[in-house]
Parts: sequence; C-alpha cells; structure tokens
Amino acid sequence: MNMKHTLRKTIYHLFVVIFGFVMIYPVLWMISGSFKDNAEILRGTLSLIPQEPKMSNYSTGWRGFSGITFATFFGNSLWITVVATLGTVISSSLVAYSLSRIRYKAKKLWFTCMLATMMLPGQVIMIPSFLIWHGLGLTNTYVPLILPYFCGQAFFIYQMMQFMQGIPRELDEAATIDGCSKYTIYTHIILPLLKPSIVTTIIIQFYWKWDDYMGPLLYLNRPQSYTASLAIKLFADAASTTDYGAMFAMSTISLIPVFLIFLFFNRYLVQGIGTSGLKG
Amino acid sequence: MKNTLATTKSYSFKKFMNSNNTVGHIFAAPFIFGFICFSLIPILTSFYYSFTDYSLGSKEAVFVGIRNFAKLLTDEVFVKSLVVTLKYVFISVPLKLAFALFVAFLLTRKSRLVTVYRSLYYVPSLVGGSIAVALVWKQLFARKGLFNAVLTDMGLGTINWFGDETLALYPLILMSVWQFGSSMIIFAAGLKEIPVSYYEAAKIDGANGFQTFFKITLPCLSPIILYNLVMQTISAFMAFTQAFVITKGGPNNGTMMYALYVYNQAFKYNDMGYACAMSWVMLVVMSIITLVIFKTSKMWVFSEAGD
Amino acid sequence: MKKKLLAVLLSASMLLSLTACGGSTEQAAAPAQDAATEEVVPAEEAAAPAEEAAAPAEETAEPITLRMAWWGSQERHDRTVKVIEMYEAENPNVDIEYEFYSFDDYFTKLKTLVASDQVWDVFQLGGNFPEYMDKIYFMNEFIDSGVVNTEKISDAYLKITQDTAGNQIGLSNGLNTYGIAYDVDMFNAAGVPLPTSTWTWDDYADAARKIAEATGHYGSSCFANNDEFIAGCSTFIGQQGTVGQYGFFNLELTDLGFDDPNMLVPYIQMRADLIKEGASPDAGAAMEVTNIENDFLVTGEAAMAWIAVNQFPTIYDICKAEGRNLALATIPRATADGPAGSVIQSSQMLCVSQDSEHKEAAAAFISWFQNSTDCNSVLQGERGIPINSDVLATLKGNASEGQQIMYDYVDLVGTFETPEKINVLSPAGQDLVVDQYNTYMHQVAAGELTAEDAAQKTFDAAKDIFAQ
Repeated sequence: MNMKHTLRKTIYHLFVVIFGFVMIYPVLWMISGSFKDNAEILRGTLSLIPQEPKMSNYSTGWRGFSGITFATFFGNSLWITVVATLGTVISSSLVAYSLSRIRYKAKKLWFTCMLATMMLPGQVIMIPSFLIWHGLGLTNTYVPLILPYFCGQAFFIYQMMQFMQGIPRELDEAATIDGCSKYTIYTHIILPLLKPSIVTTIIIQFYWKWDDYMGPLLYLNRPQSYTASLAIKLFADAASTTDYGAMFAMSTISLIPVFLIFLFFNRYLVQGIGTSGLKG
Repeated sequence: MKNTLATTKSYSFKKFMNSNNTVGHIFAAPFIFGFICFSLIPILTSFYYSFTDYSLGSKEAVFVGIRNFAKLLTDEVFVKSLVVTLKYVFISVPLKLAFALFVAFLLTRKSRLVTVYRSLYYVPSLVGGSIAVALVWKQLFARKGLFNAVLTDMGLGTINWFGDETLALYPLILMSVWQFGSSMIIFAAGLKEIPVSYYEAAKIDGANGFQTFFKITLPCLSPIILYNLVMQTISAFMAFTQAFVITKGGPNNGTMMYALYVYNQAFKYNDMGYACAMSWVMLVVMSIITLVIFKTSKMWVFSEAGD
Repeated sequence: MKKKLLAVLLSASMLLSLTACGGSTEQAAAPAQDAATEEVVPAEEAAAPAEEAAAPAEETAEPITLRMAWWGSQERHDRTVKVIEMYEAENPNVDIEYEFYSFDDYFTKLKTLVASDQVWDVFQLGGNFPEYMDKIYFMNEFIDSGVVNTEKISDAYLKITQDTAGNQIGLSNGLNTYGIAYDVDMFNAAGVPLPTSTWTWDDYADAARKIAEATGHYGSSCFANNDEFIAGCSTFIGQQGTVGQYGFFNLELTDLGFDDPNMLVPYIQMRADLIKEGASPDAGAAMEVTNIENDFLVTGEAAMAWIAVNQFPTIYDICKAEGRNLALATIPRATADGPAGSVIQSSQMLCVSQDSEHKEAAAAFISWFQNSTDCNSVLQGERGIPINSDVLATLKGNASEGQQIMYDYVDLVGTFETPEKINVLSPAGQDLVVDQYNTYMHQVAAGELTAEDAAQKTFDAAKDIFAQ
C-alpha cells in the first residue's frame, strides 16, 4: 500500500516536472539566447547552452538609447503598472459588486456595455480614443495610461462577479439583520471573501499592464518617459537591424518583476488548499 | 413639527441612498463614467466610420452608405479570415480551458512543490505576446526546428508547417493553448473557494475521486468555467499578435486572423472605413456566439446567488 | 426598443456633427491654436507666429523648439541624438525634442499624429511617403531662399525626392537601389558563369536551377519583405520595349502603365517555377527569414539574395568573417540589350511637416543634417549613401570593402539609361496590390492557378486602385 502510494506520487511528480520542462522550454531558450551572440540566435540552434556564454548583451541592452538606460524605463513601467493595478482592483470590485449583488433595472444594460467594450478590436478604437485624450490636452502625460484603469476593467469586473456568485446570499441577509447597509456589506462581507479573486486580478493585471506597449507608444513622446515594454521593442527594427541578444537580455530582466509578483501573491492561492481534502 | 420634517427628510435621504437603484449606480459609477467618457465615443465613431470612405492619411470621412458592407460579401480574404478565425476560436478555446482546468486541478494537491510547479506552468503566460517568444515559436516549427527534428527521429519525415495553409494555423493554436496561465490561475482561485465541507460530506457518503470531481468540483466551479469560456472566446476572436509576428497572415492567407486583417486594412492599406465595417460585422458574430453561451449556460451553471 | 434606437441615432448624429465641426475648425485654425505645440513652445513664441520668418541661424533669434522623430536601431538613435546635441550647441536658440521608435511603431504613432494635426516638425519617411503627402510641406521656397543649401547636391539626387511637378518633398537621407547579392564560390562550385551587368532573367533562373541541383541549397533566396514586387515584377514591366515606354503605373499615376496583362506572365511563371522546383524558398521557408542577417544567403543556404544595396555591407562583413565571398549583381533584364529598368532611389528622407510652426527652422536643420561634414562624420552614412558630394567623398575615403562594392554598384546603376521622367510616388493602395500579387504568385507555385490567371488577377487588382 505504502509502496504503491510512493510510486504514484513519484509518477505524479515526474509527469509534472517533465511536462513543466516542455512548457517552459521556449522561455529557457529566450533566457539562454540572452547569453548568445546575434549570429548564434539567428542560426536558430535549439540548444539551451550558449557556445560561448557572454554577458555583453546585458551591458549593451542596459545602456539603452542615447544615454537613457533601462533603469529609467523599468522605473517608468513599475510605477505605471503599480498604480494601474491598484486602480483596477479598487474600481473593478466596486463595479462587480453593483452588477452581481444589487438588483436594479439598468444593470443588464451596463453589463452588456461592459462586454461590448471588449468586442471591438483595438485597431479601430485607437485613433478616436487618442483624439479624445488629445482634446483633453492629456497626451504626452501618464494620465491616459492610468485613469481608464480606475474606471474598472471588463475582464476583471466579470471575473469578480463570478466569484461573488459563489458567496452565499445568506451572509448578506444575516448582515442586513445585524444592521449592515449595502455599503458596509461590501466592505465587511464581500471584500474579505473576495481575496482569491483579488489576488488573481493583481497577478494578471500586473503583467498585462507591464507588457502593454501600445498605450505607451501612443501617449508618450519623450524617450525619458518610455516604458520598458516600449523600449524593448526598440531593439527590433524591421527596416534595419535587430539586436536579438540585447532584446532577449532586457526581456529576461523584464520577467523578474512579474515573476516576483506572481510568487508573492501565489501563496494566497495555495494556502488552505491542503485542507480541502483533495488527496485523490 | 420642524423636527419631524427634518427626520423625514433625512430618513428619505437615507432611504434614497439605500435603494437598490442608487446603490447600484454608485458602485457602478466608475465604470459608467469611464464608459461614457472614454469608450462610448470611440465605439460610436467606429460605427460611423463603417459607413464612410475614410483613410487615416486623408482625415476626411466621406459617407458612402453600406458600400463597405457590400464589399465585404465579395472580399475573398475577408471570408477566409472569418473561416480561419472561427476555426482558431473553436479549436483553441476548448483546448486551452481543458488544459488550464486539468493543470489547476492537478496542482491543488497538498505539496510544497505545488507553488514551484504552478510557477513553472505560469511562466509561459508571463512572457505573453513578446516578440522574443514569437521568434522562439517560429523557430520550433521551422523546417529544421525542434518539432521536425523529433518527427525525423521517429522516421516520419518533416512537415513544412508554415508552408502549408492548412497546417500553419496549428502552431498558432498551440501557442495560444500554451499561454493558459491566466485561465489556470483563475481556476485555481475558484477551486480554493469551494467549501471544504462539501468534500468532507462527499467523503462520508463514500464518493470516489471521479464522483467528487463531477458532482462537486465541476458544479461549484461552473460560474468560473462560464467566465473563462466567455472571456477566452472573446479574446480568441481578437487574437492578433501571434499571427502578426509569426506568419503575417500567410501562407495564402491561411492564418489571416480577422483582427490582423482589420489591422492591415486600417493601417497598411489605409482603409479605416472598411476596417470599421469589418469590426462591426465581427462584433455581431461575437455577440451571437456569446449570447448562445449565456443562454445555454443556464442549463449547466450552478449559481449560489441566483439572479 | 424604438426609444433606444432613437437614442442611439440621436447620439450618433450628434457625434457626426461634432466630428464634422471638429474637422473643419481644426483645418481652418491658425497653427498658433494648436494646443499640443503650445505645450512645448514658450508662450511668447506661440503668440508671435509671424516671427516665423526670422532666420533661425541668427544667434539673436527667439528660442525655437523643434520636434523630430525617426525609426531605426540603437546605433542610429545614439548617433542621431549626438548630432542633435551638436546642432543645439551651434544654434543655442534651437531646442530639438526628439522621439525614436522601431519601424512599425513609428508609423502607428505617425498615424495618430496625422489624425490630430500634430506631426513632428522634422520627420523621416521611407518608400510609403505618398500616404502622408497632405502632411508634407514642400521645401522649394527654402531652397530658393538659400535656407536649404543644395550646392553640393546634384540635380539628379534632388530629383529622387521630387514629384513630377518639381515639388521638393524632402531631402534624401540616403540613396539606394536594388541588387542581387551572390556567393561567388557557390557559383564557381556549380560551374555557373558569374552574372554580368546585362544578364537576363533566363540567366538568373538557369543559375538558380543549376546551383540548386549541384549544391542542394536554394539557388536564390527571396526578399524578406514585399520589395520583390517593386524590384522584380514592376521593374520587369519597365524593362520591356524601349526605355520609358512602359511602367507598372503611368507617369501621372492615373492608370497602369501597360495594357496587356500577359506582359506579366513570363516573370510570374519564372518565379513560381523556381519555387516549385525548390530553387527558391516557398512561402513557409520565406517566412523564416526575419531579417537580412538570417537570410538564406547569409546562413549559407542560398547562392543569391535580393537586397536593397544598403544592406550589402552588413551581410558582406558577416560572410567575410566566415570566410565566404559575396559580390553584387544588377537586377537581371528582360533582354540583354533592353532597358535595365533599375533606378537609383531614395531609401528614406527628412521632411518638413505641414503642422510645423517653424517650417523654416526645420528646413534649416534638415539642410545642416544632409550637408554638414561634421554631422555626417558622426552619422557615418548609417542611413544610406549621402547625397552631398563632399560628404560622400569623405565617407568613400574610409570605406570598408563591402561599402566600396556598394558605392561602385550605385555608380554603375547611375550610368544606366533611365527614362526622361520618373514618378517617384506610388499610388495609394499599392500595398494591397503587392499582397494580392504575392498570394497569386504562391498559388501559381502551388499549382492552384495558372500564371496567366495570376497575371490577369494582379492586373485587375491594380486597375481597381484607379476605379474609385
């Protein structure tokens, strides 16, 4: 019995690890590419070990452009991302509460509008949006990159709505009897129980915003204000040369913050699962 | 007398503030504000453009009625892009969701390694639509790439993935499935939400693993499944980056995703009016599919809150 | 339901009138009212747009802020910014705010700026410039007034950025033309005679086939981008008849420059046959080439490659390092004694924007950028072969082997007889034709279409541009 158990466990871990390696291989290839020279990358060898590992991609890449180093670009990315993520969590949870917990007439309309905002490709919305911000005199500032995130993001509003569906209505009723208003129910009952949903929102929104380069491209002008995602794209110029080594090196560094955020918040998703008795 | 009036007033104010309609709108205010200020005008503008001859260079939109929509019917590339996109959506979404759920479930076991494992599976999604990864992916399916090397070793000969219009879509589908991280995380959070007491009760009743999964896990997770299904379907319709970076829509428009064709029309061929018309046709297609999902969901989604 | 519909219609019509008003006022508005430029221009300056005429070179002039943008690589960004700082030091009243992007991003950004009437004062444009004609301010008046110095720029080189009416669209950053780079040793190993300056498409196809047979590699790689249409297909039309008799488009860009779709057939047939026979990459293989640096010629998997010649020095050096020897051949001709069809073109240029409040200052900067030897000793011809003869002479003085071959090649193409008049513009909609042509050509290679059908369809698609 015990041996059978150990065997099953080993097979499980073996499977998860081998499959995990296959999954992560392309990422490892990119990381190893950051230590290869351009010619070796372009030859497309599949080996993960560089012929002559070198760090120069990191120094060339970090040097950035015309005296602006990647320290500036990463700094810009970091604060935009943190503020936008914060905005998403706050606003989306408020809106989700309204759309999932409160019964009122217009709610279906707003829900439909919310889905509709996701159904038109960015390419056709981009220019009209730009013209609005231009009219407001807010281009070349960070406002267009941040403010919309304080107005709720459809993807996360709907996600939180679904999680709220899982919170029993009896809790609201009990709270109402205890004298809670609809406002305090949100702060005292819903928010604390929404933790896993909020954590997923933070993890996902963080890396989406971190990777987003279209917004920074449209709204930022001065190279000093570029984000890392936009700066990394500067290495790939279709019309002249592409410095893949430097691009891979900076992409690798760019992975670190997102990964750290993931590791930090992931604990809140795993914690407690062990007690759910799912031992197979 | 005065006093009672004041109290009635404050009472009615309180009542007003606590009425469902007020509370609903107050909480939804951020969205309503953002929608009206930043989304509505661009959406309506694009609708207007779809009836015009408008290029980004010229700036003047000339009203042409339904000409753009009529042109769509005879546009071979549009019809092809519609077929390609639907194929992409119908294959990649179910695969991605099944895979995400499977991995999320697999990784809920009690083990210290779980965090490590989940990170391992999540990393591909972190690198998202980056050029670096698209390049790697292209390399994997190149004529001398990893996949062909494996096929050759098995004695099956090589496949010209990007040279054959019927095959070229599959590397892109696979890449989309590979980036299942966000769905997985949301599933994982959903799994965590299922009350332990349900499982304990099932155990007492003598249910086995399969029964527990189908009788407890799946129903409890159904709102999340619905969510992931709707969101992944919409985002699959919008898929752009992979085709743009890896195949540019070729060969023979075999990977001409509709979002890429919209981009080409708007930015490469300078026909924003036509691009908008195309977008609105696709919006209708997407709405119908989403509506079908919602209607059928009433049969399989188990809701705690009702409504 | 009716009410809702009404509401939507109402808001839509309001929007219509709004955008219509917006459009007209914006167009009629004086440049001083442009909010965005106000932001970067000191208030006194914006208030006095009439001062614009003051010569910017004068030290006493009021402060001017110019906005400039370009696309390119890390090297180009670093060099250009250095040059900008030089200019600012020489002209203390001029402050240049620069932006740089990668190629695709540059044009996305430019389109948003076109839509909002705030295109950079000085901006870089490539072959797709006709799209932006409305935003380009012609430089003729500045040449006449001497703000732009053209003493050392030959008329021929000024003409490559002029339209047929003689309007100076911009000043070229670099000359360019197409060519075929080839691996000398692979030709010799296969026993194929080396290309001459009058070789024909038949010679080219024969060479490609023989080399493919002998080496198992591709005889000829293809263009990494869509330039094959211009370098090959449309050049092929110009090579027929007498010099200047035919062109893909006519001189006025009002129609095609030839009547018989069958004129395209031999070329399409030849390209498709080479693909079918494996002497040239098919669509899948072509997709693997992301950059000139991993073109099959550079990786040693092809004996020839179509290139824009400014790419030659880079690949020459890469191959040299591996002990391989590259050379440059002209684009083949339809007949050995027929027209060459090739012309020297501008690879990219700097233009003055219509939205600029300081057009003269912008033109003065461009003049300095193209003419100053100090400036160009920093730029090092990284954008292409300079048009200023002094600058070119300096660069030629310390050219590398690859660069020398490129310079000689451009001189050679310069001796070819060219039509009296050339329209450097291309009609809007050409990109769509190019994509359709490529699809048809690959369908011929796959046996789904005959070359005759592909020619007819390409012809019809091109005709369509002028139908509206």
